[in-house]
Amino acid sequence: MATDIMLTVNGGQHRLAVDVRTTLLDALRERLDLTGSKKGCDLGQCGACTVLMDGRRVLSCLTLAVAAQGAEVTTIEGLAGEHDPLHPMQQAFLEQDAYQCGYCTPGQIISAIACVKEGHANSADEIREYMSGNLCRCAAYPKIVAAVQQAKPLMKGR
Amino acid sequence: MPDGKLFGQPAIRIDGRAKVTGRARYPSDEVVANPAWAFLVTSAIARGRIRGFDLQEARAVPGLLDILTHDNVGGEAEKPQPMSGGSTTPTLESDQICHDGQIIGIVVAESFEAAREAAHKVRVDYEVQQASASFDSPGAEEEVREAGEHKDYQVGDAEAAFAAAEVTIDARYGTPTQHHNAIELFTTTCEWRDGKLTVYEPSQFVYGLRGSLAKQLRMEPGDIHVVSRFVGGAFGSKGGITARTAWIAIAARRLNRPVKLVPTRDQGFTIATYRAETRHHIQLGATPDGKLTSFRHEGWEVTSRPSQYNVSGTETTARIYACPNILTKVNLVHADRNTPGFMRAPPDTPYMFPLESAMDELAAALNMDPIELRRINDTQTDPATGKPYSSRCLMRCYDEGAARFGWQRRDARPGTMRDGEWLVGWGCATAAYPANIGPAAARVTLSPEGRARVQIAAHDIGTGAYTVVAITAADRLGLELGQVVVEMGDTDLPAAGLAAGSSHTAGISHAVAKACEGIRARLAEAAVLSNDGPMAGLDPASLVLSAGMLRGPAGQSEEIQKALGRAASGVLEVYAENLPKGVPPDAMGKIYQGQMAMSRGHGREDAITYAFGAQFVEVRVHARTREVRVPRAVGAFASGTIVNPLTAHSQYMGGMIWGIGAALHEATEIDPREARYVNDNIAEYLIPVNSDVRSIEVIMVPEEDSQVNPLGIKGIGEVGIVGMNAAIANAVWHATGRRVRELPIRMEHLL
Ligand code: FES
Ligand code: FES
Repeated sequence: MATDIMLTVNGGQHRLAVDVRTTLLDALRERLDLTGSKKGCDLGQCGACTVLMDGRRVLSCLTLAVAAQGAEVTTIEGLAGEHDPLHPMQQAFLEQDAYQCGYCTPGQIISAIACVKEGHANSADEIREYMSGNLCRCAAYPKIVAAVQQAKPLMKGR
Repeated sequence: MPDGKLFGQPAIRIDGRAKVTGRARYPSDEVVANPAWAFLVTSAIARGRIRGFDLQEARAVPGLLDILTHDNVGGEAEKPQPMSGGSTTPTLESDQICHDGQIIGIVVAESFEAAREAAHKVRVDYEVQQASASFDSPGAEEEVREAGEHKDYQVGDAEAAFAAAEVTIDARYGTPTQHHNAIELFTTTCEWRDGKLTVYEPSQFVYGLRGSLAKQLRMEPGDIHVVSRFVGGAFGSKGGITARTAWIAIAARRLNRPVKLVPTRDQGFTIATYRAETRHHIQLGATPDGKLTSFRHEGWEVTSRPSQYNVSGTETTARIYACPNILTKVNLVHADRNTPGFMRAPPDTPYMFPLESAMDELAAALNMDPIELRRINDTQTDPATGKPYSSRCLMRCYDEGAARFGWQRRDARPGTMRDGEWLVGWGCATAAYPANIGPAAARVTLSPEGRARVQIAAHDIGTGAYTVVAITAADRLGLELGQVVVEMGDTDLPAAGLAAGSSHTAGISHAVAKACEGIRARLAEAAVLSNDGPMAGLDPASLVLSAGMLRGPAGQSEEIQKALGRAASGVLEVYAENLPKGVPPDAMGKIYQGQMAMSRGHGREDAITYAFGAQFVEVRVHARTREVRVPRAVGAFASGTIVNPLTAHSQYMGGMIWGIGAALHEATEIDPREARYVNDNIAEYLIPVNSDVRSIEVIMVPEEDSQVNPLGIKGIGEVGIVGMNAAIANAVWHATGRRVRELPIRMEHLL
């Protein structure tokens, strides 16, 4: 049951034929070679696949690719080009060592940007709460909180 | 102690940019042309055999390409050989089923969706037998673990000393089944070209995977290429070889097309390893002034039917405190389960929980401060063997940790430190982990531009190994970190061993340092023979590399590029192998063949080498709901040389948070009748989330130890978790007066 869809990802338009059951995550990873978004569970439990859809954080493993049509999808690759300066949140994760293996990191960074933009980064407690949908088995949590706090003032106007 | 300037300076990860931009290629991110997709079929029963398959419905799924079962491929691969414990359970080799969730078929299709659909349409006719789930299950078989890979200790007469002791503790403890649950799944991609196989799979030992596959598939190791440039968390789970890889290789060979497997999270619970549940019986005897007179520790561990895998943490508990009478013993219980394997601090996490809980109980019985009890029984000599510790700064860890934590403000009486609705408790415990080290080889290439390339088949499982290698090379070659490029995680590179047992940093930095010394020596020899150069005629051993220059003892210097020009017309390349003390002479060859070879902290002739730590925890137990929270924890650790304090801090911190999970959250629940894991997903298998964690403080106690190895590195990945179980249980006792001896500690234990 293939169907033709059009996805807008990181500002680019992509026409592709997908099985209607294909998730946005698999479409990004396996069809568009945007492998920054990770599959940690495929069940909406870990947050590794988090992307922005029209600025809101969504779990791309729980979003069908067909349902992402018409939305602006932003993945981790869309935050900074290969040789560009990093987004302040990426820079903060780097400097705070807010990761170890890095597998949850793209999802954490996307989620953290949304967390700030939603206005849910006003205190360490609030950040912890609103970042608790992104699991980190390496347990970089305190440094993730520190990274969000570092990046927040630098995100004004972005 | 290294003389270098970069050792011990915090450095941002050299692979950090790749990780924060999503451009780091984990194995399932590697691009292969036109892959087919595999989906695993796993058994729905734990014991029995397969009478037959009905594949009709599955075959009718559009896009289906192939179905592998024991009927058509059973003879094409052998079982992998686990790194430890002998044999393991089968998969597709036969019709036998030895545990729930065993791989019994592989469906391959044009798409992931089609493969999944067809896999769910495979019908299996089982001959079911009654399965044994765990301890106490009918049919589970218990045996004494013979001495072999692990030893037992008998010093003096522990039974008589216990009977005669004035103060005694005699208690039983238990720890649960746990699964690593790294965020990355157990992915495998296989691709054949001209009879040669390339495997992309997250691995803690790429040469091990290559060597095992060669045996399983009856191939030459040189015809197999394993690539694992990044690993999305491992914690032991990607160290052993699992059965899936060979079958995916066979699937790709049958189709003559790359095949990709991304198993589900629940399949990860049964197709790889886990930490088995354990039980313990501890007996401590002491004098009224707190001197230990008797220590007995007997452990029980679950394993699969065919495996002898066990962790035998008595090898650590027998040597923590001075004691004249010691007796240890370990028993195995075989059940219808998948084979367990290494999980972060495999022996020490489950075995130090009972010892450090019992020490807290003893302190209470003696009416003594628990730190004082440890001080009275501290030792610089291993009581189990009489050998000296190469270094042991346990009490310095206690002193620095206690000062930071504010331990002197503790009211020793349980239940007295209430804060409103919350019962506050403070606990502490000892952490210890052997300083292990393996052989490794490295190639260092210096280019005419004065840049270095380091190649080593080491593994960065999140530890910061890429950066450790770069720091070592830059330090030794007198370069900036940015002038060093590192390649790892690939069997085309010089071999390194299993990234486990907290051994990797020590093993690989010595190999890299040795190759760099080779570069220095070549540059120095050329410099002293160059009559027109500033260092003509000097002793080559007196020349050093620093800040981009080759330098002589009297201030002579020359740019490294110029010095290179005297030694080589192009690049200068040095390959070196490092065999640490305590490994057999053929150890490097073993690594190349994919076998494990490691010098263990309790296996050396000359000394016992261990890292130590003291861990402090505050818990808050809600007076009515009995919810348990950990608002703060302090860990002070002495682990020799710290190469990169930034990433070391993350490792210690991660270990401590793992400890919070182990003590309060994590347990794989098993259906006792079906021998089946119940909460096999990452929402119901509880791991700490961001809001579970508050203040985690890490103190790195300086420690110099030139006996452990020339660079003084002990390893840090595991010691951070070891004391946490007991520190939390001890704090819960202090808060509530309840001694919980079964993990994890949950509300229902405290009502
Ligand atoms: S992969 Fe989407 S939430 Fe885990
Ligand atoms: S960095 Fe490894 S899971 Fe978060």
